[in-house]
Amino acid sequence: MKKEHVIDLLPEYLDNILPETKSAAVEKHLSACTQCQKELEELKILFKAIADEPNAVPSDRLRNRFEKALELEKATTTKVVSISEGYKKSSWASNMLKVAASIALLVASFQMGSVFQQKKSNDDLAFVQNESLQLKQTAMLSLMENQSASKRIQGVNYIEEFPNPDEAIVKALTNRLRYDENDNVRLNAFEALSKFTSSETVKTAFIEALGTEKNPSIQIAIIQALVQIQEKKAIGPMQKLLEREDTQPFIKNEIKLGLPKII
Amino acid sequence: MKEPSDEIVMRQVADGNLDLLKVLFNRHHKHVYNYLYKMSGDKMLSEDLTQDVFYKLIKYRSSYKNGSFVSWLFTIARNNLKSHFTRDAKHHEDISVLEYKSVENRDNKQEDYSHLQNALNKLDAMDREMVVLNKFQEIRYEELAEIIGSTPGAVKTRICRILKKLKGYYLESI
Repeated sequence: MKKEHVIDLLPEYLDNILPETKSAAVEKHLSACTQCQKELEELKILFKAIADEPNAVPSDRLRNRFEKALELEKATTTKVVSISEGYKKSSWASNMLKVAASIALLVASFQMGSVFQQKKSNDDLAFVQNESLQLKQTAMLSLMENQSASKRIQGVNYIEEFPNPDEAIVKALTNRLRYDENDNVRLNAFEALSKFTSSETVKTAFIEALGTEKNPSIQIAIIQALVQIQEKKAIGPMQKLLEREDTQPFIKNEIKLGLPKII
Repeated sequence: MKEPSDEIVMRQVADGNLDLLKVLFNRHHKHVYNYLYKMSGDKMLSEDLTQDVFYKLIKYRSSYKNGSFVSWLFTIARNNLKSHFTRDAKHHEDISVLEYKSVENRDNKQEDYSHLQNALNKLDAMDREMVVLNKFQEIRYEELAEIIGSTPGAVKTRICRILKKLKGYYLESI
């Protein structure tokens, strides 16, 4: 009876995982077959080498990192559990809280909305005001150049619209004060400027006007304004005015009264 | 057997008893590490990949489906190894990329390989993997079949052929 070689069964035979009947058959074949014996011997050498192969050992780092990761996972997991338990216990209270929170959110967002709206309209208003101010300035400056004296007075009186007039307006007013041919315009210009006596431009204009002004009532008003602000530079022009022959006596009188107050 | 099987322990882990993962780590991390080391020939890499295998075990514990734990574990390890090399090589060549990699590693790092490891390196990657899993990590034919998606019979025949080849390389070298 010719038997097949058992080479294919040898690994299992060596591992002792063959059923007994097969195992016995292999042994029987081996006793008669030198080729399979040789094969078995070689396989034994290989298996011994495999068994003797030292296992590589990982460093402690591996275990440490694994345990750290595990702790982290445990921490996050327990946290989730505790929250859900707390939720079950006080679901009524937490529902009320949720309602309260949503109301608060609603109110807060409404307030925010109105605040933003207000801010926006304020911005718009400021823009419009700014624009109308510029418009008025243009109107004022052009009115002051008008041929009609009453229009020029109207332009000068626009000054009341400007709490903080810029240099262009002040310059235009001082020009009115110094060079306008109409007494009333000059008087109005003076009255407008007298509110801004802290400005150097205005002071200089007053002092210069003192030398050129012929209308006595304006002269007196200028003198009084200069005395009131204690302008030292005005002393020279006032004394000159005193020496001039064409100066009205009551003007001289006014200067005489005012001069000591400045010094 | 007085200790509970891997499968029972893993089921408890999946139910939330995370501490039991330490038991599984103690039982298996050396096997996983050695498998990866035999396959890649790189100790540092094997350590990192082993680390990653157990991270995944933590993360995907609830996806464990009552099968053989060892098969599941080595499936993860195998995928890790494969994705590491495909990521590195930037093209998908299945596990065969390991062949070149392993030879490269030997040249570059000059790790001290035994005759047996050298013989193993001569096998192609798929064969090497099967013999490493079966003979070194003692994974049974049934589980191995599950891991590589084949039948126990086919695995048995294949292992037998690979062993013959490996024996040839090994006897040549000594």
